Parts: sequence; structure tokens; C-alpha cells
Amino acid sequence: MRSPSLIGLLLVTPALLLLAALFVYPLGFSLVSAFTVEGAGDGGDRFGLFNFVNAYELYATDIAFTVLIVGLSTALIGIFAVAIGGYLTLGEVGFAVALLRWLYRWPLFIPFIVAAQCMRTFLAKNGLMNNALSAAGLLEPLSAQSFLDWRGIVITFVWKQTPFVALLVAGAMASIDRSTIEAARNLGASRLRALIEIVVPQVHAILVVGLVLSFVTMMSVLSVPMMISGNTPTMMTVDMAFRINAYGDYGTANALGFISYLLTGAVAWIYLRRGVREGPP
Amino acid sequence: MKKLFLAGAALVAGAAMAPAMAQDVVLNVATAGSENMVDYVIDYLGPMFEETHPGVRVNVVGTGPGDAGSQAIFEKLSAQSAAGAAAWDIDVAVVHQKMGGNLVREGLLASYRDQVETGALVTSAAADNALGTDVSGYVIPMFHSQTAIAYNPLLVADAPATYADLVEWTTAHPRQFGYNGIKGGMSGVSFYMGWLYAMTDDAGQMMAGPYDASVAEGWSDALDGLKAFNENVTFTPGNAGTLDMLNRGEIAMGPVWVDMFYTWQADGRLSPDLKLKLIGPGMPGQPMYYVTPAKATNPDLAREFIELATSPQVQAEGIVQRFNWYPGIDASHIEDFMSPDAWAKLFADVTPEDLAANGKTFPIAEFFDLALENYERHVAQ
Amino acid sequence: MTALARLSRVLPSTVLIVLLALVIFGPLTNLLIWSVTERWYFPHKLPLEWGFSFWERVFRPRGNAMESLITSIWIAVFTVFACLALSVPAGYALARLKLPARALIMLAFLMPQAFPSVPIYINVARIFYTLQLNGTIAGVVLVHTLHGLVYSVWIATAAFAAVDRSLEEAARNMGAGPLRTFATITLPLATPGIMASAIFVFLESLDEFTGTYFVGTPDVTTLPLLMFRASMEGNYQIASITALILLIPSIAFMLVVERFLRADVLAKVGT
Repeated sequence: MRSPSLIGLLLVTPALLLLAALFVYPLGFSLVSAFTVEGAGDGGDRFGLFNFVNAYELYATDIAFTVLIVGLSTALIGIFAVAIGGYLTLGEVGFAVALLRWLYRWPLFIPFIVAAQCMRTFLAKNGLMNNALSAAGLLEPLSAQSFLDWRGIVITFVWKQTPFVALLVAGAMASIDRSTIEAARNLGASRLRALIEIVVPQVHAILVVGLVLSFVTMMSVLSVPMMISGNTPTMMTVDMAFRINAYGDYGTANALGFISYLLTGAVAWIYLRRGVREGPP
Repeated sequence: MKKLFLAGAALVAGAAMAPAMAQDVVLNVATAGSENMVDYVIDYLGPMFEETHPGVRVNVVGTGPGDAGSQAIFEKLSAQSAAGAAAWDIDVAVVHQKMGGNLVREGLLASYRDQVETGALVTSAAADNALGTDVSGYVIPMFHSQTAIAYNPLLVADAPATYADLVEWTTAHPRQFGYNGIKGGMSGVSFYMGWLYAMTDDAGQMMAGPYDASVAEGWSDALDGLKAFNENVTFTPGNAGTLDMLNRGEIAMGPVWVDMFYTWQADGRLSPDLKLKLIGPGMPGQPMYYVTPAKATNPDLAREFIELATSPQVQAEGIVQRFNWYPGIDASHIEDFMSPDAWAKLFADVTPEDLAANGKTFPIAEFFDLALENYERHVAQ
Repeated sequence: MTALARLSRVLPSTVLIVLLALVIFGPLTNLLIWSVTERWYFPHKLPLEWGFSFWERVFRPRGNAMESLITSIWIAVFTVFACLALSVPAGYALARLKLPARALIMLAFLMPQAFPSVPIYINVARIFYTLQLNGTIAGVVLVHTLHGLVYSVWIATAAFAAVDRSLEEAARNMGAGPLRTFATITLPLATPGIMASAIFVFLESLDEFTGTYFVGTPDVTTLPLLMFRASMEGNYQIASITALILLIPSIAFMLVVERFLRADVLAKVGT
């Protein structure tokens, strides 16, 4: 191993500078407020964990709920993205592959806030889905149920985010060496087995990157939980917005943000630890 | 490709410079609230003002519905204040009542009511007091907004007249009443404040002060009652979420802002058959305020704009006839400018007597926060 | 092959594709219907009246929809260039060169997505007001670039890491310098990944509204601001129409990128 590369440092510096100027520096003010109790004691502010205690007391359930929702969504996105990428790579019915390639990307172009609106009017009890199913005779109108709860949030996330990961994964799958796949197929391996044992290990890194980015994105989306589900528990972004809009309380909102970042960081770490182990040259 | 890109870049650079080069003075109006309010300024007030003020262009920024929209205006002004900017880029703003108080407390507004002719046409308490903050001089109401219960007469034969009736009705018709809790916007908050007014003896003190945190100790029955009530309701996602579920008939009844309700009807998203009822002992309403920031770039034009917007004629034609909203200035000044039909339609569902008896204000700011905290700790947990 | 055997081979795929099409286009159908709805409410399962009056409302001259759309597109294009200029070198360094605290740097780029953005933007706006950057296209591009970096740095790093090292070494052994190796071997091989990140950055910028509000308005207005307002208040017609309008540049950008990609790959085959 060489000593730290000066060129390497020079190459990342511009991006880091932008991050420092437009994010870390402004965040500094915010983070101070997360650890500050406003107007405590004799009118001055003092440092403390009050905001974190407040966040935990009021929103512990919401934090757990957020992790479950986003975790489940990430897992489903991973499965569907691999399935789509796998079919595009290994599919044998030509027109189906072409159709799938054309089909799967559409949700990518729909912003979250619009996806939430579409799903709200689609998955509701008297929404388009149930209406269509009952018109087709597949559903008794009386037994129709609404999906506008945690399921609606997961469905929206998976619908919107799967193409993102699938696009990355399919790109990587297209560039792997086909001879290993064909060798395995000639030895009688099923397509599913070839996918799981040959293809996925080779695109593992980009798959995880896509999932980490999806995880972060879903943690930060406000419109989906806000517009899909009015029930408690709700997701952390709704609580953050509520603290700010109802009380002007940036302290607790930032404490929640800090917790959200720690959760994201923990997930990203799983990927990075692997990267560190394999190591750059 | 590259050529195209450069041409585009030049175009955008030109467009970015354009306001500085053109002779036009731009009057920036920021408005919280629904798209209808934004369009009202763009299509109605803007052209009218430009006609009498050649060389002035009215530029409108909508900041989004609900208290988040007002919060966004507050944040933009406080950023400019903290940056020490000499001239702020918002000349006129339309904000909710609670935020009007905050803006005055933070010293972000200019006092202007004495300098405009229409200032004398407003005598309502809400023009001087915003949830406990003295705002006299700083604001003139644009219109008064009220929450009420919207219901579908197809599904509800006999609409409840009071909170107590409503509790009974929801027990008999579980999940047919829907509201948005307190995190999804102010219509749910308003329903909850009305609940406290109805179920405790503290309504008077909550609306007028003095503030005393120990008052909340007497709320446990009311909060337990609400928790039980919540078992029988459907939670809706937001102010718009309640209207959305009414749109598909998934709930039969729910609290809404009257002005939003009429917007949804006018845009074909609610049946014209739906009705409103302002239940007793009362639900809160609030005005939207016209304000002008302390360091507006064009303070004189800003005042003239507000003067136009609060003139009896514009209030009659623009606010009442166009939108069916309750006027901001005193109703007695605008009746002459209106057809009796429009006047009757304004009070079709909610009579002036209902409004006088059951139209409440929100609690003063400290009680407001105390009430929300109590909901979070005792009802939502 | 008999017709029956052929059918049995094709049938499962066909069923799957049809199901997927329903899943993907079902929710979008609602978007299309609402965009041409005049009146639609309970108990009617379909609109009572269809029409284009809301399109007229969006495109009325005083609404400035076209102008905001063009501004949105240019902001997105500039953001893509800024992101690529920053993330290609950074991604290469993070994937290939020895850096101290590499993992921490990677983690740092995730931060802008995790924290609530409003308090950050208030502070950014304050800084930009002092620098006279508020209300300029450049200011908005900077803010969008920050968020785009989350995607572009991570994806560029992964793309460079996936390039087969032995190909680079072969080029070096044949006497190519490091820069030449990068330009002729590493960069072209990482291009598909980098272009994918360009698409995400473009979409992210084209759909962004919070940062634009704090840094751009009232002087710079983009179409997503209108979409945001309409969506939040449940103005389904206007929200659907703006979303449909924004689909056009999104898809066009994707097609341009793919075409450019294919040409590039073909050129390589030719030489």
C-alpha cells in the first residue's frame, strides 16, 4: 500500500468543499440547536440532551415504525430490482424482454409527491383499483378495503424506487461476462440459480449502493407518509415537519434529523465496511 | 449539441439579468394558502394594480397551503433579516393569523394600517389581536376563514348540531366521521381546539388569556374522551385528505376549511350537494392577513397594493362573489357593492347567527402549543 | 416446435408482463384521468365531465408555466454538469486511490439527504443573501448540485470500482500514461454508470422545490413549485398536468443520454 495519495485528496476536494460550504457549515447552526435548550435558566441557552429526550419520549414509536417501513421497502426493492435486472439479462422470450425494458422505468419519472397523489386515489377504499376490480367482478364491493396505511407507504416506496435500483443493476448486469452464465446454463443450472449464484454476486456492489441510496431517500421523503396515511404511528419526517410548522421547534426537529442520519449511517456502514476490507490499492 | 447548450446558457443568463435591466419595477407578493389564492393575485389583483400603476409588474410567489406556507414566508424573511440585507425581496405577504403574531413579535413587519385609507374599514378583534399578540397597525385581514363540518346529505340524514351529538353519531356510525389528527394541517387542529372548548370549562380563558399552564391539569376527561372518540373515526391524511375522502365517499363527514371546501366544489372535486354545518358550542376560524415586511423593497407600492386589495369593491367582487369567502373588512362596508344573491349564497349553509354564536378564535399562542403538546402526549400515544 | 409448446413457453412471460404493466400503469391511469377531469366525485366511479379547462388554466399567459418550465430544465442541465464535474474526479479518487478516512468521506456525502432540509436551507439562504446569490440561477444550481452529489458521488465511485483493473494494467504495461489510461480505458468503461447517475441528478433537480423556494424565489420560479402547491392542497387536476409536463423533459433527457451512450459504444467498436 502506498501512502495517502495527494492527487486523490486533490480530486475529492472540490466536492468536499461544496459539501462543507453548503451543508456542513449551515448544519452547524442546526446541530447546535439540536443540543441546545432554548432560554433555559436565566434567559440564556445551555447545552443539553433535552431535545433528544423529547424526541424519544414523543416519537420512539414513530422512529421504530420508520425503520420497519423503510427496511421492509428496501428489502422488497432489492428483490424486485434483481428480478427485473435478471429477466432483462437472462430472459429468453424476446418480445417480453423488450417490453419489460420499456415498461419498468416509468415510475422513475414521477416525483414522490405525485406518486403519493396517484397512490392515494388508486389504493383507497373507493379508489380506482377497487373500483376496477369490482367492475371486473373480482371483488365484492362490500369487502373492499383501503390500503392507505403502512401498506400504502410501502407500496408507494417500492413502486417509485424499484426502477431506480433496477436501472443501476440492469446496467451492471449487462456488462458482466456472459460466458460464465452460459457455462452454468450448459451445465444444467436453472435461470434462477444462474441469477442467484453467478449474476448477483458480480453486481453485488452496485446493488448495495442502489439500496443504500434508496434507504436514505425514503428516510427523507415527507410527502408520501403525509399524503398516504393519516394514522399514528407515522414516519419521522412528518414529526420533523410538525415540530417546525406547529411550534417553530427546530431543536427537536434536528434531534430527529440526527437520529435519522445515525440510522442511515449505520446502514451505509455495512456497505463501506466491506469496501474497506477489500480496500483500494 | 454544444452550440445548443451555449445558446441556452446565454438565454438563461439573459433571463436572469432581465429584471435588472428592464425598466419595470417588480412588486413581489408572497402568498400562503391554496392555488386559488395564488391565482386570485395573479389573475385578478395583479392586472388591476398594473393598470393603475404603469411600469409596475406584480410577481406572485405561492408558498404552499396551510401553516407550512406561512412558516415558509416567515423563514424567508428571517433569513434576510439575519443576513442584514438592506432591502428584502418580498413586498407584500399573505399569512395565517398565528404567523402574523410571530412576525410582529420578531420585528419582521412594518406598521402600515394608519397609512392606508382602508385601514379604518376594519374593526374586528382579529385585526388587532393575533392569538394573544397585539398586531394592531401591522395587519389587515384579506378574508376570514372558518372551519366547519362538511357532510354528505346522501349519507347523513340528520347532521349533528353539537360536539356532544357528534360523539353520539360516531358511536352509531363508526368510521364514517374522519379528521386529520393534529399533524396533518389546521382543520384537524381546529376540530381538536373546538373539542377542548366543548369538553372543558376553559374556552374563555384559552381564547383571551391569561396563560396558565396548570389549566391543562383539568383536561384529562376531555382528552380521555377524545381518545375514545378517536377509536370510532377514520384518520385522514391532511386537510386535503379529509376532502379527498369526502370526494370518494369513504367518509360521510369531516371538519374542513370553508374556503377550501368551496374551492373543491368549484373545481369539480366535491359534489355540489355536500353541505356545511358549524357545530356548537363552536369551532375556530382565522383570518388571513395582508402584511408588508419591515424592509420591503417597495414600501409605498406595497401599501397601495394592500389598499386596493382591501377596498370595499375588491372585497365584494373578488373575495365574496368570486370565492364565496367571508370578507376581511367589516361586512357592513361591502354589502352595497354586492348582489343580494351573492350575499345569500355566502350564508347559505352557515347563517350569520351561526357564525356569531359558533365562530370562535383559536386559543392564544401559549395555550395553542400547550393543547397540541397534550394531544401528542395523551391522545396520540 | 408445435404451436402449443410455443404457447407454453411464451405464456408465463406474457402473464407476468401484463401484471407488471397493470401495477405500473394502474396508478398512472389516475394521473391521466385527473388531468382531463372537469367534475368527478362520489358516488360516480368515473368523471362526470371531461375537458381541458385546467390545461388552459395552467397555460394561461399570466401563469408563466412555460417560462418556469424552461428555467427548470436549464437549472437541471447545469446541475448535471456541475455534479459530473465534481463527482467524476471524486468518484475516481474514492474508488482507485488511497485516501485517509475514505469511509467517512463516503458517509459525509449521504448527509444532505438525511437531515431535515428546511433548517439547512434557512441558513443557506442567509449566506446567499449576504453573497447576493439569492434569486439567481447559479444559487439554485448550487443547492441542487449539493443534493445531486449524494447520487453522483456514490454511483460514480461504484462505477469506477467495477472497472476491471487488469485492463488498466495492460494499458499501463503497453506504455500509456496514467491520464491516457484514464481517458481511454477507465472513463469509457465507467461511463454507463456515470450516465445513469446523470439521469438521477437531472430528475432530482427537475422535481426539487424546497431549495428552489428558499434560494430562488421570488426572482427564479420553477414548475415544481406549482406542482408542489397543487399536490399539497389536493388540486389533482393541476398537480397531474404539471407532472405530465415535467415528464417530457425527463424522458427526453433519458433518451438523449441513451443515444449518446450507444453512439459512444459504437465508436469504440469502430476504432
